[in-house]
Amino acid sequence: MRILMGGFSDDLGDWLKRRLDDVCVDPLADGNELRGALARGEASLLLLDHQWLGGKAMTLLEEIRSHPWGRELTVFYYLSQRADGSLTRKLVRELGVREVLLPPLDIHELAKKTSEALSLPLMPVKEDADPAIQSAIADVRNRFMGSILERVGVLERAGVGFLEGNLTRDLREKAEREAHKLSGLLGTLGFSAGSRFAAEIERLLRGGAHLSEAQALRFSELVVALRLDIEKIPVAAPALVPISEKRSSLLIVDRDMDLAERLEAEAGSRGFEVQTVEDLDAAREAVSRLPPDIVLLDLFFSGREDEGWALLEELSRRTPAIPTMVLTSRGEFTDRVEVARRGGRGFISKFSSPSQIIEAVTKLVDRLHATDARIMAVDDDPQVLALLRALLEPRQVSILTLDDPLQFWERFEAFAPHLLLLDVEMPHLSGVELCHVVRNDARWAGVPILFLTRHNDPETIHRVFSAGADDFVAKPIVGPELLTRIFNRLERVRLQRNISEIDPLTGALNRRKSSQILTDFIDLAQRHNQPFCLAIVDVEHLRKINDELGHASGDHVLETISRRFQNAFRSEDILARWNSDEFVVGMYGMSRYDGVERLRELLDNLHRETFEAPCGAEFRVTLNAGVAQYLEDGTTLDELHKAAEKALASARASGGGRIVAAGSETGSGRKSSRVDVTLVMSDEAQSSLLLHTLELRGYRTRWLRDGKTASKLLAGSRPALRSRVVVLDVDLPGLDGLAVLKKLAWDKVLGETRVIMLTAPSVANEAQTALELGAFDYVAKPFNPPVVVQHIRRAFGAF
Amino acid sequence: MPRRILVIDDEEAIREVTQVTLETFAGWIITTASSGREGIARAAQDPPDAILLDVMMPDMDGPSTFKELCQNPATRHIPVLFLTAKVQAADIEAFRNLGAKAVIAKPFDPMSLAHDVSKVLGWEPEAIQQVGGRR
Repeated sequence: MRILMGGFSDDLGDWLKRRLDDVCVDPLADGNELRGALARGEASLLLLDHQWLGGKAMTLLEEIRSHPWGRELTVFYYLSQRADGSLTRKLVRELGVREVLLPPLDIHELAKKTSEALSLPLMPVKEDADPAIQSAIADVRNRFMGSILERVGVLERAGVGFLEGNLTRDLREKAEREAHKLSGLLGTLGFSAGSRFAAEIERLLRGGAHLSEAQALRFSELVVALRLDIEKIPVAAPALVPISEKRSSLLIVDRDMDLAERLEAEAGSRGFEVQTVEDLDAAREAVSRLPPDIVLLDLFFSGREDEGWALLEELSRRTPAIPTMVLTSRGEFTDRVEVARRGGRGFISKFSSPSQIIEAVTKLVDRLHATDARIMAVDDDPQVLALLRALLEPRQVSILTLDDPLQFWERFEAFAPHLLLLDVEMPHLSGVELCHVVRNDARWAGVPILFLTRHNDPETIHRVFSAGADDFVAKPIVGPELLTRIFNRLERVRLQRNISEIDPLTGALNRRKSSQILTDFIDLAQRHNQPFCLAIVDVEHLRKINDELGHASGDHVLETISRRFQNAFRSEDILARWNSDEFVVGMYGMSRYDGVERLRELLDNLHRETFEAPCGAEFRVTLNAGVAQYLEDGTTLDELHKAAEKALASARASGGGRIVAAGSETGSGRKSSRVDVTLVMSDEAQSSLLLHTLELRGYRTRWLRDGKTASKLLAGSRPALRSRVVVLDVDLPGLDGLAVLKKLAWDKVLGETRVIMLTAPSVANEAQTALELGAFDYVAKPFNPPVVVQHIRRAFGAF
Repeated sequence: MPRRILVIDDEEAIREVTQVTLETFAGWIITTASSGREGIARAAQDPPDAILLDVMMPDMDGPSTFKELCQNPATRHIPVLFLTAKVQAADIEAFRNLGAKAVIAKPFDPMSLAHDVSKVLGWEPEAIQQVGGRR
């Protein structure tokens, strides 16, 4: 058997000769040598590197395929560049390439595929190694094992530091050094997978002090894999231990023993572990002993409605909250609202049949297990894909199946799955290659990858784990086992994410995580020329509440605020807790004034809410807020936060639940050169009324009382005062409104400034004249401030 | 007279593996040093035929050690092979520009180190024959 090699190092040839008995591998000098060898019928396999002959390898292959002696040749093609779907498809479909190899070239994988293509047995790697050297290396390995594991310990500590957000610079630098040393050492000692893991860890550390969430996750997985490789825990072990499907536990709280018994029987038959309690104390005890996965609560179980509501609220306020399905004999709409408000997850009539009730509970459990998870499965066997769809679709998982690995990359990027299922053996592009590609892209390094395979021999298992797989399921697929593994993975990713991102008390994002997301949104706002609003909300006298009424009261306030905010939010809003008494709120696509308006509504509702301390005392809270807007008040998160903080300080100083927009702080003294609205009007009383209305809504304003000043500040090639909207009264002393408008139009200021004229109804065609001169809109006098605000909003919307 | 190689690496395990593999496969005499400073002293005292030099070491790294070796008339002629886990093209180019004879990637295969080193230095072709009996 003869393998021809175009564009690889001699070492690769040596490697193939070591792994395959009785092959000869010949490096080619050029295309002519290849043509000659093929014409003489001397080759069994051609290995081509895309970069060979200055990138002309593909052209050469096209030519070879046109000759009778080149048509049947088996070709492996190393596409030494970033995965490209169309190129891969061309290679396979038009040029008959049997295997496409992607970087980094996996020589073990190559040996395996070559042995398959040539039907030659694969030789063990170390067969030709000198036994004396092997034993000397084994000796070194044993003696240095302690120090190697210590270094892995440093990497483990760094991994924890990343996940918890408290990695010190010293530790990071130390970990980088150790990873570097380990990557250089481990391979020499025979831990080739470990060496690659360490090298990837080093790359992640070298990237800087901050890792994205996916990178941090990948980091911790690499460290685990590294230790596994070094401690030589048989890699097959985790995959071969049978996992029994964990049963969900259900707690039924009901005094109606007849119904409870029937529910218990029904739930038991559906695989739940069931416990029934009759009263509040027993329920509390059961929950604190071993929190169930789900509670089915008869709201009037004790005959007392308040006890039911209290228990519901307790369950939803726990961390983590225990999902509760409420059973009631009433079906009023207000009850449903109340259930939702108190954190209940579902609602079903007591008069439904036990099987309907438990069906509803089962659906809720499934929903909780995998909310909106996206799974992508790639397998060339359509039957397997059909089975996967049948298993996963009923569980609220959206699944994308693909039977052609050549379309992988485009589909994968578009779908952005939370988990990837790959078949090991597929024609042209194996699961292992795909796994490499995914793992080498920092954006996807954290996506769990599960392999499906018919072969569960240690060699295959080692191959998939070295490629970066997370788990492994043997075919034929056993439904419950596969589901358990999938949901375990998703759950783990979710948990790790939660631990590192979520403030445990309020469920708001922590500072580290939110900074990252807020920065992303600011970038997005910049790219799409959208506003972005950042607000800081604080609780007045939180410390006093904690001191006088107990920390539980303060905690309750924070939780409630967080819940009300989150209920009112759109998916693109961000709530984070940065300090003990401060929330940071990010609102994409919203301007300062929109943000102020939304916050005002939320704050007003919270101000009306009565809280109850554990001692029974009732109290209310006051919240203040400072609001800043991207671009106008700053271009970075830091600048926006500072601006909002300054506004908040001003709100706090005047007290009483105020919302202050950045730049309009009272007593800020300095007059800004950029404002939202300039009012040009001489009547002081009317002006102050309108200005007050605008300021309350978060607009930054400026008041000019005569036309001459307005023309001086607002017009010119570089106006001293830039205003998004100018509300211009027609009647002005000196230079009148229409004259000012003419000047603004003449100086081409109207492109970035919208003018709203306040016109006198008595003068015919005044409004018409104003519009012709370039005014955006007009309002007839006498005006009503909210109406003017409406017109101003419309003017802003037109930008 | 067998060839003599000085291995400078702060990693004790690497020094041991290098020593055992080069002595067994190639029959060269290996001396070791655990830091750049110690390596410079050893090389000056008893110049070897070649030096294997680790790049990343605390205190004095590979490139600074190399510069100092080049400044001393007693050691400047000794060919130096860098050992490094950083094998990006730019790094290799930088080491070459410094005047290194070759760059050997870490982790290296203990079975082929002797082969690679002798190829680079153009030493005894028969040593290659000994490497694991591969060809």
